Order: sequence, then structure tokens, then C-alpha cells
Amino acid sequence: MDLGEQIRNKAKELIEIETVDCVIGYERATDGVGARPLFAYKPEEVDRLIFDQTCTHNLAKYLLNRKDKATAIVVKPCDSRAINLLLNESQIQRDKLFIIGVACPGITKTGLNNTSEELQAACQICQQHTPVIYDFLVGEPPASEPDIAEAYADVAAMEGQSAEERRAFWEEQFSRCIRCYACRQVCPGCYCTECFVERLDPLWVGIRIAPEENEVWNTIRAFHLAGRCIACNECERVCPVNIPLSLLNRKLEEEVRELFNFQAGMDAETPAPFATYKKEEVFPEIG
Amino acid sequence: MTQFISKKDLLSWLSQLLEDRYLVAPTKVDELTLFRQVDRVDDIVFDFDNTTLSPKEWFFPPSETLFYVERKDGGVELIPATIERETAIFGIRPCDARGMAMNDYPFLAEPADALYRQHRDKTTLVGLACLTTRPECFCTSMGSGPHDPANLDILLTEVADGYIVQVLTDKGKALLPDKLITAADVSPPPVPALSDVPSGDISEKMRRAFDDPFWDRLADRCIHCNICSYVCPTCYCFDVRDYTDKERIERVRSWESCQSPGFTRIAGGYDPRPTKGSRLRQRFAHKLLYFPEQFGALACVGCGRCVRACPVNIDIREIIQDVQQLGVKSEA
Ligand code: SF4
Ligand code: SF4
Ligand code: SF4
Repeated sequence: MDLGEQIRNKAKELIEIETVDCVIGYERATDGVGARPLFAYKPEEVDRLIFDQTCTHNLAKYLLNRKDKATAIVVKPCDSRAINLLLNESQIQRDKLFIIGVACPGITKTGLNNTSEELQAACQICQQHTPVIYDFLVGEPPASEPDIAEAYADVAAMEGQSAEERRAFWEEQFSRCIRCYACRQVCPGCYCTECFVERLDPLWVGIRIAPEENEVWNTIRAFHLAGRCIACNECERVCPVNIPLSLLNRKLEEEVRELFNFQAGMDAETPAPFATYKKEEVFPEIG
Repeated sequence: MTQFISKKDLLSWLSQLLEDRYLVAPTKVDELTLFRQVDRVDDIVFDFDNTTLSPKEWFFPPSETLFYVERKDGGVELIPATIERETAIFGIRPCDARGMAMNDYPFLAEPADALYRQHRDKTTLVGLACLTTRPECFCTSMGSGPHDPANLDILLTEVADGYIVQVLTDKGKALLPDKLITAADVSPPPVPALSDVPSGDISEKMRRAFDDPFWDRLADRCIHCNICSYVCPTCYCFDVRDYTDKERIERVRSWESCQSPGFTRIAGGYDPRPTKGSRLRQRFAHKLLYFPEQFGALACVGCGRCVRACPVNIDIREIIQDVQQLGVKSEA
């Protein structure tokens, strides 16, 4: 039975016995090759559910729109970490959720009418092929996770550059930002009812879509995700001007792992480093 | 007989243009194709489908200063921003030329927007006909077409060793000297075919679909980013804010989008479009119903950018099809 069929069978059962009133999963997109999110409320809508290596979206963000409603959701391992993040931060309720986890074969580079078979960069170095939280698992989890020696090769390459080179690189990247906020809207960790960027009093950043303001926007957003980013890489995928946001997020992820031995969303209980204060913690020397 | 310019003459003409005006043309930036002001002809790409962002940013920039207010001799003085230099945009596609003409309706309706007026007056549009198309293109269903010369000053169509030239306006004539053009017996390449999107009578169908639950269901999937508005050649909403310091106030406008959650929130916190569905409907109702009601033309030109860039496949072609069906159902 293919993954899609297993998901459809489970989803139909959940809708028919009214365990949930909506299943959030994937259906085929209008290009006929890619995927898009589907909200299935009725058994005949469940028939449209699919799963394959084009199912790139992290659907966990949508749970924030259905906080009080019984919902089933299809999650890949990285997406499942987003559920833990949201549970940990008291944004969603476990008893309203039915989690259909997918042992993930990796997602291919997507985009409209794209049939590339190459795995996305994040999937090439993925060390978590089984969801970390689920009620029902589809697919075959691997016997063991791959041991990836160079998990932060991209970050190391960036750090190998001089400060001037890095500044020039990021200035060029941020100058392209059009402040569409797609990176924020898609991110499961970005759920503030009033984002700092839209706040008027105090005014953190002006409305200009211009290099200086863009830089403030992009760097503060990255910092707000430190120790919270669950590495789904959705922000980078959706950016219409291809800003390599994962480099910022992964740099911060590496720092948090080294300093606190913590990775966001691996479970729903461990308090996040920036939500905890320990007296014995000392500020590391910054070189 | 057609008019012709050789590739070599075209390149030398473009480098001449650099001398007395800004030349804006498609360039490669990482993997994107973006209109940029170029300093050398070598930076221009000629082989591209369409640019990632639309040319609207050269008439209606992402951010722009409208005016300054400065203290002077015990009073205040208002200093409007002005556009001094002429610009030529090379490589505009026919759909986008139509898009700019659509923006003229709201911006040039009296009282005309002073800055937009200046950008428009000082810019000459040199179009490039499309020899190939992308799967998301549907310009032929929205009033334009791959070889449509409308709303351009010059249209170039690539053939072997050069381009067929159509000089369409006085502005175009002033830009391209006669001596560079020769008469030649070359036939234009075939116009690429595009699949049809059923746009006929769509405004009436939109009106009937206004209260349909369709919009709320569609909005389930929408993440309410501003990508569609910002990549669109014809989305023209903006926000205005003052940057102030002791001596000077600068009034700035920046792109805004009806898709942002706070867009219609007013004093007191009331929001006439409080739901995701009502916000999403606004984008399509504006393009397919309100704009045509006000100005007589659909405000989508079928460039396909929003289709390509939407992270969750909100596809205006599918929406037009679905709304046609909703109309049929409510008639029955
Ligand atoms: S998605 Fe890209 S362009 Fe849009 S706000 Fe984020 S970084 Fe900027
Ligand atoms: S910052 Fe990017 S990679 Fe991290 S959780 Fe948010 S969308 Fe995913
Ligand atoms: S609505 Fe989409 S297809 Fe139509 S003009 Fe705007 S970006 Fe292009």
C-alpha cells in the first residue's frame, strides 16, 4: 500500500467516526506534478489526499488557525518537531490533535512544474527520518539514522569568509528582500499576534522596503527563532527572491546545540534555552 | 517588408542609451532574473522567459519618498520629490506592458499621482516579444498576447541575426534613430499558443460568488503573505508613513497588500475584512470585479507570476474556472 493510500484510509476512518472534523494533508497541485495543502472535511475530499516526495509544506502552522477544533494532520519528521514546539510553547492542545506521521523518504527540490529528483539541501543532511511525535505512523522507518559528519558544511563555508565578505554577501541578499513576510507567515515559530515589524509603538523598524530596514527585519526574525527553529526550511523555500535564510537559522541552531545541547522540537517537554533561567549559567566569552 | 535591426546595431544602440539616461534591463542575480539599472550592456540577459519581479517597481517603487518638510526661516517648507532623469526599460514583455497601462487608470485618474506621472512620462518602454512561454502564462485570455505591441513604445521580435522592429510611438521614434533600422524581408516567428482561461463574463460571476463559502475554503490553505501582491504587475496598494527627526519630516510610501492581516484595520481596532476568506476574496474581487467596474478592464494581465510564486498553489487560473462554475450553480 503506498503512503497516500495508508493516509487516505486512516483519514477516512477519522472523519467517519468523527474523531476529527478536518484532516490537513496534501493533494496534487494545479501543475499536475507538485503538491499543495489540503483541508479535507468530508469523506469524498479525503480521496484527494496524496503523499509523495513533492509534499514539501510544513502543515503544522495551520494548527494555529484550528486551536480549539479536533484536527488530524499529516506530518513529516521535521514538521512533527514543529508540533512539539507549539505544544511546548502552549499554542496548541495535544488532545485536539490526531497526528499522522510519515516516515519520510526526503523531499525533492520543488517549484511549479518542477520534476527534479534531487533531494532538497535540508533533506540531504537530514538525520531524523521518523517523526518525533505521532499517533499513527505510515511508511517504513529506517533501521538507523545516517551519520552525517558535515552537517554544518554550509555554515562552516560562510564562517570561512572574512567579515567584509560576509557583510557584502548579506547586504546583497537582504537588499533583494521585498518584505513580503512569506518567511514569517509560513514559519510555525512565527505566531506573534503583533510582529515587531508591524509594531508602531515602540517603532522597531520603519516601513521602507530598503536595505537598512530589510537588514533589521531579517536579522531580528532570525534571532527570534534561535533555539526555536525546527529546521523545516519552509522560510527559504517560500522566499520569492531566494534569500538563503537557512544559513542564518542553521548558524543559530549550531550555536544553541553547542551551548545548550538543545535542538528545538525533539520533545514537547524540555524547556527551551531562552525560556529558562539557570543561576549557574554563565555567559560564554565571545571571541 | 518589415523593419529590422541587427544584433550588433542593437547592442551599440543600447550602449549609446547609457550615456544620457538610465537603462533598466533584465539581469541575472543568483538564479533570478530581475530588472536592474545596468551600467554596461554585457550585464543584460536576452534569453529569459520573464523577470521574477514585475517592471512595476520602476513606476511604483517598493519604497519611495513623496516629499520632505523642512524647517526654514521660522516656518516650514514642503519640498516635493522629483524625477530628473530619463529612463529606458529594455526587455519588457507584452503582458507587463499591459500591466503598466492598467496601473495608469488608478494612478493617473485626476488628481494624478505626481510621482507616478513623472516616472511614466520619463520612461520609454522597449518590449521584447515572447518566442516561448512558461506553463503559467495566460496573457491571451487577459487581453494581451506573446507578440502584442500594445502599450509599448517599441517592440522587438527576435529573428536570425537580429530583431524585427516596430516603432509604435513618438517616444519610441525619439529613442531609436532611423538610421539603425533597415527594411528587410524577414517573416516573424510563429506566436506561441497558450491554454485558455475562461475569463469571459467573469466579473458577473464574481459578483454572484461574493457570499459563497468557496472563499473561506480556499483561505484555509492561504498563508496570507504578500508575495502575490508584490510580484504582480498590477497590484498597486501602498502604505504611507512619516520618518521624522528634529529638522525634517520625510513622507514615505511603501508597497502594502490586501493580504496582510492588518491592512484594513482602522482606528478603534475595527476590521471590515476580519476573516482570511474575506481578505483572500478581496484580491480576486478587486482584479476581476471592482477594477473592471471602475475602469472597464480586468486588472490581471495573465503574467502568471503569482501562480509561480505562491507557496501554497493559490492559482488564479483555477479560481477563475471555479468561479465560473459557482456562477452556473447559482443560476440553476
Ligand atoms: S520571504 Fe524573502 S523577500 Fe519575503 S520577507 Fe522573507 S526574506 Fe524578505
Ligand atoms: S525559521 Fe524557517 S526553518 Fe526554522 S521553523 Fe521557521 S520556517 Fe522552519
Ligand atoms: S494576478 Fe497574477 S497572473 Fe494576474 S497579473 Fe497579477 S501576478 Fe500576473
